[in-house]
Amino acid sequence: MEHHKLKEIHLPRIYLISKGEENADKSSLLINQLSLLPPLIPCIMQIREKHLDARKLLTLALTARKIKLPKGSLLLCNERADVALTAMLDGVHLPENACSPDKLRTFASKLIFGCSIHSTKSLHFAEQSGADYLLFGPVFDTPSKRKYGAPQGLKKLGKLCRTTSLPVFALGGITQKNAAQCMNEGAYGIAGLSIFQDPTRLNDNLEQFHHILYP
Amino acid sequence: MIPYSPFVCVITDEAFCPVTLAEKALKGGASMIQLRHKTASGSQLFTWAVEISKRCRPYEALCIINDRVDIALASGVDGVHLGQDDLPATAARKLLGNTHIIGVSASNVNEALQAEKDGADYIGFGHIYLTTSKQKEHAPLGPENLQKVAAMVSLPIIAIGGINTENAPLLISCGASGVAVISAVSRANEPTKATYELLCAIKKELQ
Repeated sequence: MEHHKLKEIHLPRIYLISKGEENADKSSLLINQLSLLPPLIPCIMQIREKHLDARKLLTLALTARKIKLPKGSLLLCNERADVALTAMLDGVHLPENACSPDKLRTFASKLIFGCSIHSTKSLHFAEQSGADYLLFGPVFDTPSKRKYGAPQGLKKLGKLCRTTSLPVFALGGITQKNAAQCMNEGAYGIAGLSIFQDPTRLNDNLEQFHHILYP
Repeated sequence: MIPYSPFVCVITDEAFCPVTLAEKALKGGASMIQLRHKTASGSQLFTWAVEISKRCRPYEALCIINDRVDIALASGVDGVHLGQDDLPATAARKLLGNTHIIGVSASNVNEALQAEKDGADYIGFGHIYLTTSKQKEHAPLGPENLQKVAAMVSLPIIAIGGINTENAPLLISCGASGVAVISAVSRANEPTKATYELLCAIKKELQ
């Protein structure tokens, strides 16, 4: 797609997703995480706080945007391109049932758009509507997703990565032990929530992933 | 632009298909439809917004979407309606420019004045009377507060909350340009007729 040529995005390979318990009034794990990112490890951070109304999400996004991030890092929010534009974020991550990237690009041409996908059908739709990257999961077992059934598994991840030319981030139960397997299956990078939630372990975890993902 | 006053704005009800409801309300003379659905997905809202807009056009009615400036821009509806917890009107204006209408909910003079300062095109003021359509944090404001706000702001005011054919005329005489309803139309046996009767009631008041 034309916008790719114009933009020449270099996506970081490590993708953090916020915990989903942010409260604009309280001390923030998200802000803590962003402040602790090691200066030489570019990361994507998706602010995914679906319970927040647009006003609180904007406040949080504006606060997050003020933090100096490692060079090449990207700050995204979930779904709301209007909030992303207002807070000058880099992009938006879209759930499977969101408005599609091509429709949002009509007014947000400079934003990066990523799409969650759980099936071949949603893969094709994301590709056709101009997604910049894909988020696929849960690859491995993860407590928060058990209610949706069994994990998708490495094989499905591999099949998906071979089907698409878009960068795919593997999500769900990713650890330092299985990240390399995801890469072997063709994943572009890895994404996680809980593994990045302990501020005291964040630096070490990111450095370990960085070694695995940038051999 | 904001419809000629007095006018009826019908807000969609999550219990009914918003497109069907909009159709019925438009037939009855509503000149503004507000698509409001807090739990629908973005793609669903987009589809509804496009469909409702299409149906508004022949009637020269406006289609406004609640909260979602992103969907408004993507779908090309006429504007947005913003609550106090939504994007600030100033931010919405930067994104929407002057080609779209921005309405802001206010429940007191300060919020109304702020909305005017922020560049809103109209104010939704309420709730005027008791309503079951939305959970409320304050007591009904009554026509007297509507009158007070109408005297202090120059923007058109749409009165909302517990409005029916009996109480609507008074609100127009208190300075409202229009009235907004949910259940008075959506829960009526005949939504088209209910819209028409509401319109007749407020038009009579003007004469």
